[in-house]
Amino acid sequence: MQQENSGEREVRLDELFRAYRGACPEPEASANFMPSIWAGIEAREVSTHWFGSVAKALVTAALAASVIIGMIMSSMNHPSAFLNGTFVEALRADQASSLEPLHLDRISQLEPE
Amino acid sequence: MLVEFDLIQKAQRGDASAFNQIVSAYRRRIMGTISHVIGRPEDVEDVAQEVFIRLYFSLGQLRTAEVFEPWLYRLTVNASYDYLRKSRRRIESRMADLSEQQVMMADAVAGSRAQHEDNEKRRVRDTVQELLSTVSEDDRILLTLKEVEGLSLKELEKIYNVNENALKVRLFRARQRVLKKMKEVTGPSSFNAKDDEAS
Repeated sequence: MQQENSGEREVRLDELFRAYRGACPEPEASANFMPSIWAGIEAREVSTHWFGSVAKALVTAALAASVIIGMIMSSMNHPSAFLNGTFVEALRADQASSLEPLHLDRISQLEPE
Repeated sequence: MLVEFDLIQKAQRGDASAFNQIVSAYRRRIMGTISHVIGRPEDVEDVAQEVFIRLYFSLGQLRTAEVFEPWLYRLTVNASYDYLRKSRRRIESRMADLSEQQVMMADAVAGSRAQHEDNEKRRVRDTVQELLSTVSEDDRILLTLKEVEGLSLKELEKIYNVNENALKVRLFRARQRVLKKMKEVTGPSSFNAKDDEAS
């Protein structure tokens, strides 16, 4: 019985879909159909062009900014003369300015009388 | 195919008159499909225009003639889907008023025969719309293309780019959901009983 009802419902659904096709009015395009399409196309082309221009300007500005920042950074990090020498030279220069007098005193104190 | 591939190629090169001819050739068919899918005659033209605008911008990607119609159908499906998603709430509220509308229609049967036919058509449209509102927008469109538009599984396969078995499963499930809703709406009595009531 349940099977029969389900089968009947299937048939009724098919009938309903067929009736629906006939019940939907045949749509007629208005006289403004084509002009509206072209207006829509032009509007999208304008907005695409505008977005393209803005994106291009942003990319150019970003590139210019990165070049300027790069130049500033490179001039700030220019290696000093201190860093040009080797590690041993740096140590020697440091000792010559601060430790050398102390070192000489110590040596004189340690010398046997 | 309703147009020659030459015409499509002309439109691809930017020939506006060729594009106009393509629109004129497919306008009626596309509007008919949209009308069945969305069920709102007043919005059919807007959705159809959106389809052709999308066609204009994607025409350059088309390489072979045989994919043109499935492609146009896919654009139609996508535009209808977008419309249904946007207007889902609106449709739901309309469906909530359905019983009231049916009562009003039953009261109006004293009118002319033409009026009665219009009422009957509207009742069928509203009933099918209510049944289709129980499935997702995707399944609703698929079911409409298969059951109302009468597209074959092979044609649907080209439009959806999925294999036949997957389509059959989706169609079966969607149909089962609609049948379940049909049982709830109509109860044990058939639509014929409703017809009697309306007339």
